Amino acid sequence: MGSRSGRILFGLVAVCILIGAGYVIAAALGPDETTTEARPQTYGAALARAHLMVRAVDPANPRLNGRVYEIDGGKVKRRSGDLACERVYYAGGRGICMGVAPSGVDYRAQIFDSELRPIHEFALTGFPSRARVSADGRYGSTTVFVSGDSYLQAPSAFSTRTVIVDLRSGERVGQLEQFDVTKDGRPFDAVDFNFWGVTFVPGDSNRFYATLGTGGSHYLVEGDIGDRSMRVLRDGVECPSLSPDGTQIVFKSRIEESERWRLRVLDVETLADHAVAETRSIDDQVEWLDNETLVYSYGDDLFTVPADGGGSPQLLVRDASSPVRLGTGS
Amino acid sequence: MYQVEASKALLKPRLWARQSSRLRVPRNVIMLGAVSLLTDISSEMVATVLPMYLVFSLGASPLAFGAIDGTYRGAAALVQVLSGFTSDRWRRHKEVAGLGYGLSALGKVALVAAGNTIGGVGAIVAVDRVGKGIRTAPRDALISLSSAKDRLATSFGVHRAMDSVGAMLGPLIAFGILLLAPARFDAVFVVSTLFAVLGLAVLFLNVEGKPRRAPRDGAPPRPRAALALLKDRSFAPLLLAAAGLSIASVSDALIYVGLQRTIDFEPAVFPLLYVMTAVSFMALAIPVGQLADRVGKVPVLLAGHALLFVVYGILLMTSVGYLALAVCLVALGGYFAATEGVMTALAGGLLPEKLQASGIGILITVVSLGRLVSSLAFGALWFAIGLQSAVVVFVAALGLAMAVAAPLLFRAQRIAPNG
Repeated sequence: MGSRSGRILFGLVAVCILIGAGYVIAAALGPDETTTEARPQTYGAALARAHLMVRAVDPANPRLNGRVYEIDGGKVKRRSGDLACERVYYAGGRGICMGVAPSGVDYRAQIFDSELRPIHEFALTGFPSRARVSADGRYGSTTVFVSGDSYLQAPSAFSTRTVIVDLRSGERVGQLEQFDVTKDGRPFDAVDFNFWGVTFVPGDSNRFYATLGTGGSHYLVEGDIGDRSMRVLRDGVECPSLSPDGTQIVFKSRIEESERWRLRVLDVETLADHAVAETRSIDDQVEWLDNETLVYSYGDDLFTVPADGGGSPQLLVRDASSPVRLGTGS
Repeated sequence: MYQVEASKALLKPRLWARQSSRLRVPRNVIMLGAVSLLTDISSEMVATVLPMYLVFSLGASPLAFGAIDGTYRGAAALVQVLSGFTSDRWRRHKEVAGLGYGLSALGKVALVAAGNTIGGVGAIVAVDRVGKGIRTAPRDALISLSSAKDRLATSFGVHRAMDSVGAMLGPLIAFGILLLAPARFDAVFVVSTLFAVLGLAVLFLNVEGKPRRAPRDGAPPRPRAALALLKDRSFAPLLLAAAGLSIASVSDALIYVGLQRTIDFEPAVFPLLYVMTAVSFMALAIPVGQLADRVGKVPVLLAGHALLFVVYGILLMTSVGYLALAVCLVALGGYFAATEGVMTALAGGLLPEKLQASGIGILITVVSLGRLVSSLAFGALWFAIGLQSAVVVFVAALGLAMAVAAPLLFRAQRIAPNG
């Protein structure tokens, strides 16, 4: 090979090293850009009854997303602590904050106390999707999206992984994929099982509901942590969320296999369901403001709508997501 | 170039010549390996951080990313056959491969300049995939045409090992940059672009476009000649065997999921499965290639598929410990080392010089279609009759495929022209 091409290549390598190293060093030393911080703003009549924890969203500067705020009867309070969460939930003195690990390329969940101090931490294996905590603060659940990514050959299908965590010890109790499932009294298993959207039963944190996705169906399952078991209740229910009194479940109802959903509410006793007045497609695990009112995120804002099917959606908080009911809610 | 190298070897003391002749691979293959190494660093850097960039900096939902990622995989298969034939017809393997590498490099530049919308990132990922589809067949043809026929498997082994080193380094470099400069995805994209440019530079400055075995005269091949490969007396049996073997081979992603169902390991261990398999592949690719050149590519290819029986056997065990898991992953790495590169080397030896890229393009497409069928079938069986029974079916299918493939492959090699 001619030495001319060798010299050109050598020169090119030198130039690339200079540019690359220079750029990375400039980026590493550069200003943090944390000049202003997103601050949720509140609206609407439902505020008087609202006592929420939310995560701030700043559409103009996504790097500042995720700080935790408390909304109490129209007052917006920045909660102390450095938590930056993609999803947050809190109940019974303990919370879960799912976010980016300090490395910047991994995800982690932090378990925090009532002062928002992290007490435990565990690694997440994908994008934060859903977080829930049982009313007594005993158990928590996280759902992440996992991509089956592989270098050697890559059928990249998105799937979900949901774990139950003992929030006192920070230990993983189990992954829902490893629980036994029954359908119509018989064992039920398939390669494409995915679970997401756990909601714990108020007053009995050993029991929960969740979604089981398989073969195009989205089953509502009722689970038992002690028995490590679940049973299928009915089809067409995603991201269930129990009302504070435990009698109703609000859920996402998929519109004909699309990636669009309508919110519906079902009766836990009869499993019969009805629509609510929100007609936009909502992709969120809905929270209950109280036993009569739902609160959920749409875009970068939080809205409320009555659970009984009446009324209409109302803007509650601008620039916020991941609403968490604080207090008893009734 | 090859002659210079050969004469240099003659000048060396005999003992040294004999030792070095074991690993001696043409300079062109090393250079193509370097191109792939640099390009893989570049692509894997981006692939590692792209999901996070989309979700945290652009506010996309993870499902949107899944859609972006999945959309363009199908398109690559068709592109491979077309780019393979075109590079044969124009006798410009280097330039067509360069177009593929160039498109991917352009994609990285575009990411730096305009990657701030979800649609824009989608388009850039599409361009990258098409670039990968374009470059694979002419690049493999160049490796084949640069190598003596009795050294083909070693050449492919060396190339694949270098390629996978790049795939391992890419994520590490990306992590390193983000550790130094948290959330500065632009720095990752800039460095990735530089690696892509360097890969392109090595291709154009150091890779010989008309290597030793490249056809220099005769009419350019017609499409009919490429189509006739499907009926070729030595290549058609190879295609048939490749199709059967790939259908009977469960994809590694499904094997990992299966292992996870069998063993209750921490989810955090999951990425380590890929790493262990890749390390085992990296370590074995070169020695296995040398072995294939010494004892024959067909026996090594069959032995590689036989390693899958070990993997299937471990999937059938009721309780799998960490030792069995390690054995399984080493076997899986050995399976990859003894199959993809060796199969391409076998094709390179059978195909006429003027149809190398066309034939390799067809082979890659057949194998990737076979894998698709395999994944769909295994998933459906798992769903219908459970993991254990599905594995039993695939043990039988692999046995059958090997029984059918073995005589086909041996015959293909026997009746190959000047093989």
